[in-house]
Amino acid sequence: MAEDLVLDTAIRDWVLIPLSVVMVLIGILRYFVSKLMRSSNQAPDPKMVKEGQVIIRARNLRAAANYIPAKSFRARRVYFSNEENGLLYVPKGQAQNAQAQMFSDPNMAMDMMKKNLSMIIPQTLTFAWVNFFFSGFVAAKIPFPLTQRFRSMLQNGIDLSTVDVSYVSSRSWYFLNLFGLRGLFSLILGEENATDDTQRMMQMSGFGFDPTKSLGAEKDSLDIFQHEWALPKFEQRAEAVLKKLVS
Amino acid sequence: MAGHDESSVSRKKSSDSVDEISTFSAENMQNNAKIIYYSRTFMSIIGGVVAGILGFTGLTGFIFYFLVMAITSVGLAAKAGFSAHPYFDSWNQILLDGFLGGLLSFVLFWTFAYDMVHIF
Repeated sequence: MAEDLVLDTAIRDWVLIPLSVVMVLIGILRYFVSKLMRSSNQAPDPKMVKEGQVIIRARNLRAAANYIPAKSFRARRVYFSNEENGLLYVPKGQAQNAQAQMFSDPNMAMDMMKKNLSMIIPQTLTFAWVNFFFSGFVAAKIPFPLTQRFRSMLQNGIDLSTVDVSYVSSRSWYFLNLFGLRGLFSLILGEENATDDTQRMMQMSGFGFDPTKSLGAEKDSLDIFQHEWALPKFEQRAEAVLKKLVS
Repeated sequence: MAGHDESSVSRKKSSDSVDEISTFSAENMQNNAKIIYYSRTFMSIIGGVVAGILGFTGLTGFIFYFLVMAITSVGLAAKAGFSAHPYFDSWNQILLDGFLGGLLSFVLFWTFAYDMVHIF
């Protein structure tokens, strides 16, 4: 079953390389377009920023709580989670409102739609282009064998059923590029933001959900935190460090 | 192997290495994690090209991928001075994190190089 097909050099010149180059270029283009579109409608909401900063402060308090005496930690904690005017305390009614407002806010919705579209449209167009121009012939040989069940998926333009499953059509070369170039994009574009839409959606919705859920979460985690002052142990730490220095 | 440090960002200490209390600088840890990711991606791409040129097929190629990842792990551990504690959360982060993340890029470049050299 191991007959080796001899493939035309023209396939290499006119299919494999142009397809990869086009996909890389489209990825770069999409990155720059998304950068341009993002900077045009910044306008950070002051309330959102304030709440974000409060959460950061609360987190810092929790992270470094062991370095301040117990009384000051308690004082700070009350400042945050006080029932009347504590910064983290969000009454239930208000919490619901903010969330609903987030979803119906036209700006947010437009933003997310734009980002989704900018992801989907180039992929769809490229896929259609590949199907139109590059179908019906063997494009590449993948170096590892696969079972017969993959045949329909990988060889959809080729109608010979005796050809080795390793010989794939250009559609599968497109998909292979789609997944494999993500790593390359993360190297050449700095951050992985051109193709990883799930990560971006988390970032986008992070800003929206932050005030309502994380405030409550931060307050809870601050409440249950056990304060353990580090000062008593510092003498031993100092002794250990000095010992290391001297010996 | 000379290529794995091409991201040229130096590692920074992220925690004190004394007994119980450890403070982590989140920003530095993130930086270190990013470096690991870049190194692995780069090595898997290079490994893919090498595997394709050398003509590995089937299982040999995947074994080569794991070999490349192991070399990357050793390289990263050596760069961190074989002590994970000041720089990372745990040893697992250096050795195992992102092991399979580079697989797709590896396969892509492996296919590409193999076809370029052997089929056409």
